[in-house]
Amino acid sequence: MIAKIALGAFLAVVMVVVGVGSYLYLGTRASKVTEPPQLPTASQPSPNAFRLPGTLVLEQGGALYGLSFGRFHQLTRPQGWMQPSFLPDGNLLVIKRSNVYSDVWKLSRLGQPLKQLTNNAAPRSSYDIGDNHWVFYPRVTPDGKQIFLSYDKPKFGYEVDLSIWSMPVNGPLKSGRVWTDEADAPGYTGGDLQPVPVPGGVVYTRYDRNLDGTIFSQVWYSNRAGSFGHALTSPAADCREASFNPSFKYIAMICTYGAQVSNLVIAPYGGGKIGRLQTVISNQMVAEPTWSPDGTGIAYLAPAIVAEPFQLWFIPVAAYFQPSPSPSIAPSGSPSASPSASPSPSPSPSVSPSPAPKVKPIQITQYNGFDATSTLAWAA
Amino acid sequence: MLGFTPGRRARASRRRLNPLRSLVISALAVILAAASGSLAYFLPAAMIAFNASGASIDLPSPSPTSILFSPTPSASSAPTVATSGAFTVLLLGSDDDSKFSGDRVLTQSMILVRVVPSTKQVTMLSIPRDLWAPLATGGTGKMDWAYSYGGARAAIATVQADFGVHINDYIWVGLLGLIRVIDVIGGIDIVTSNPVLDDYYPLDVNTKSLYGYQRIAVLGGPQHLDGTHALEYVRSRHNDLQSDFGRSRRQQQVLLAIRAKSKLLSAEDIPSLAQAIGGEIKTSISLDKVASLLPLAASLDNPANIHTIVLASPYTHGGAPDGSLWPSWGLILPLVHQYFP
Repeated sequence: MIAKIALGAFLAVVMVVVGVGSYLYLGTRASKVTEPPQLPTASQPSPNAFRLPGTLVLEQGGALYGLSFGRFHQLTRPQGWMQPSFLPDGNLLVIKRSNVYSDVWKLSRLGQPLKQLTNNAAPRSSYDIGDNHWVFYPRVTPDGKQIFLSYDKPKFGYEVDLSIWSMPVNGPLKSGRVWTDEADAPGYTGGDLQPVPVPGGVVYTRYDRNLDGTIFSQVWYSNRAGSFGHALTSPAADCREASFNPSFKYIAMICTYGAQVSNLVIAPYGGGKIGRLQTVISNQMVAEPTWSPDGTGIAYLAPAIVAEPFQLWFIPVAAYFQPSPSPSIAPSGSPSASPSASPSPSPSPSVSPSPAPKVKPIQITQYNGFDATSTLAWAA
Repeated sequence: MLGFTPGRRARASRRRLNPLRSLVISALAVILAAASGSLAYFLPAAMIAFNASGASIDLPSPSPTSILFSPTPSASSAPTVATSGAFTVLLLGSDDDSKFSGDRVLTQSMILVRVVPSTKQVTMLSIPRDLWAPLATGGTGKMDWAYSYGGARAAIATVQADFGVHINDYIWVGLLGLIRVIDVIGGIDIVTSNPVLDDYYPLDVNTKSLYGYQRIAVLGGPQHLDGTHALEYVRSRHNDLQSDFGRSRRQQQVLLAIRAKSKLLSAEDIPSLAQAIGGEIKTSISLDKVASLLPLAASLDNPANIHTIVLASPYTHGGAPDGSLWPSWGLILPLVHQYFP
């Protein structure tokens, strides 16, 4: 009798343990896709991992983080800081974005706010939310005197397109000049973004539309205010997010060729013209390519697994350099070693180039979720 | 008298544990406990899914508007898609915030999806919400009125009659449903076609001021979007020259991104997914059919086999009543019958 009671009690305990255990076990079997990205300071790169030279500043969740000597350091609190770039004096030029407007700020290299350079909040007396303004992607000229940026002025009713502006490095934006006036362009595309000052002008991303209404992006060059300049890439290549090596002899950018992927391509550059595009990474979700200060490689953001948040990567690019860059007539749209593909109108499927990479990219982070619309700032 | 009597021995024997019987009882207990734990894990999801799925809809046979429909597409038209085991689902998306009551909502998004399992081909056709067409509930009006007049049945009947297609099932998703689905799968990766900037985007989700506006700026290029920003990307139409057509293209993009992300999910994710979307999704697809479709959804991974169609010009043109669009049925119907035979 005692043995049966003991067995019953034992089985009761076992049943509770197994029942709860199976419930908990199933919970652990759930995929990790819903887990939020870890903070860069909480999941540091492995001590044995590849170390990027200099200091790289990037954004996650509205906070800026600096990566130097293989360790992340938090520079700002998560308050909408984004799109950092370095000033010649080593300080940072960044955007602070709120829900309805954004402004350019100057921060110290350690992330301390030094000066607010624009004021895009609507006047207190305004009842129209449209009186607020957006400004994005500030970049200083090599001589440190001017700042180029994307600004949503002028606006026309519902049409909110960004134009390229320049302003004195200490502001205000009121004394700035419009370089690409979206009032003179086909509207409702998003406009002109991501200006990069280059010797003699500015290179930027321009959004335009095909005859069938589909929107594409092109990399353009302009050498004077009030002029859109000319395109460096073809509409079919759908390129954007230009970055230059330190000598301004090579350009890196991403091109989609009309597909839901973005290829990293590089090309020789000189005098407002680019040479033949060469694909470095194909059929991945590459974003924000940024040339290293020593010109040996490109850092970029991309998911490690399809559909996951963006991680930091680096790829050495010396193997891709042509012996003598010889810029050809712009625009150039076809990558070498791959067929040109046009963003064909629906319902035809899109075709993407797929050359194999020569050099294997190096994954720097694994569990973070960097903002792929925020530029990377990299200084020696 | 010393020793046990035979009767005592028998009773003692009954009191002793039979090892085999004990083992069987123990095994049954363990199995029962494991099953109970699993049931407890999946039961809430099953109940939510049961409530959301299998909505009975008496689907009428397609009866294309005889005046508009040309029943015999020309022999020279492109070859039709193979039909073995193919099925068509109507995806409906609605603003279902508190400005509206119950099922009296408009369908901001209507997408016909045809899946051909044998060839793993998918075709998505976005129907303009402003298309001026005969409604199954009577009269003529914008396509998005049909759901508000008669729910899913009216929307399906209208699409079937006007486009001459047979719809097997429907899925309806509310605004919060889309946000929650994307959040619960951990966001999606997408190459946004262009910056979407809107000064007067509706401020009607998770707010008390249902008629307010907010500014949005979804920047262009590759990025990881959470549910709120994905909704902003697909819902805004003020800053798009093509208005609803541009929005339709963005909606198709996001649907494909959700499909890509869903391939990373496992069966154990179903409870959290069901809990997140409870009440924000309705479908006529039964639970067992959903289970059978999951492997198929995972196998549809060749972008070349996914066709997206938007009925922009010349298929439609402006000038219809109430700012709506006139359909060019002579162009639309051959196209529809090519991809939705």
